[in-house]
Amino acid sequence: MLAKLKAATFEVLETMFYLFPESLEEGEILRSRGPFLRSSVVIAGPQSIRIGLQVPESLARKMAANFLGITEAEISQPEMEDILKETSNMLAGSFLSKLEASAAFKLQTPLVQWLSVEEQKKKEPEKNLRFEVEEEVLELFVEKG
Amino acid sequence: MAYNVLIVDDSATMRALIRKILVISGFDIGEYFEGANGLEALGILEHNWVDIILSDLHMPEMDGAALVQALKKHEMWRNIPVVLITTEARPEVIKPFMNLGVQDYIQKPFRPETIRRKLTGILGEAQTPDASEIESCDF
Repeated sequence: MLAKLKAATFEVLETMFYLFPESLEEGEILRSRGPFLRSSVVIAGPQSIRIGLQVPESLARKMAANFLGITEAEISQPEMEDILKETSNMLAGSFLSKLEASAAFKLQTPLVQWLSVEEQKKKEPEKNLRFEVEEEVLELFVEKG
Repeated sequence: MAYNVLIVDDSATMRALIRKILVISGFDIGEYFEGANGLEALGILEHNWVDIILSDLHMPEMDGAALVQALKKHEMWRNIPVVLITTEARPEVIKPFMNLGVQDYIQKPFRPETIRRKLTGILGEAQTPDASEIESCDF
């Protein structure tokens, strides 16, 4: 399942953001400065799960700029939030397609929240994948929905 | 020939992105309209001619399915092609929309060449004269 989620992540980041993530091995340390944006979407079904991503603000800004084709300075906070929501939505959609999941699994409305460095440290997802993107950390997580 | 395009999506950011990708793709856009849901789309159609509609599925007020159903009931709008732009491409999800009369769908994420290929497949390539045709014209 995580392999399919990883494939979906590469597809979304490369196609929509022109960003090329590299997987970080367990224990490999790369620190990002907060605050962080955490976006997720629930896949409701026989076994509901929540999948999403978490990035530092600096990477969210870069993603938004690449997505919209404008400079980072022009990106507003609502645009960053919108783009993170859209990203988790696309990840979930691509993931479901790769799983060939039945129609019983439905995507819910994506959510986004800001996390301070302290709040981010408290979050411990059940399963996660970490990627290096433009010298920042993008964290992907899967939790019970 | 330029085509009038209506983009329907509740995210202003997504509408901006689709517009940007359309421009990059080289698709010949005439007038460009956008609505945040099906109701806004119908309001735009009351006053403007649109050649193709690109619509999201999930929207507040009136979603993509209700929009397509409303279009199919209307004598003037029933033949306007609708292309879904969606994160969902599972056959079980898409098939009911195709049965409603949706022309095609594009799964996000997508590239400019995908959107151009789909739209020109539906509307046809813009007819521009080649050099030999221009030279043979009597001005």
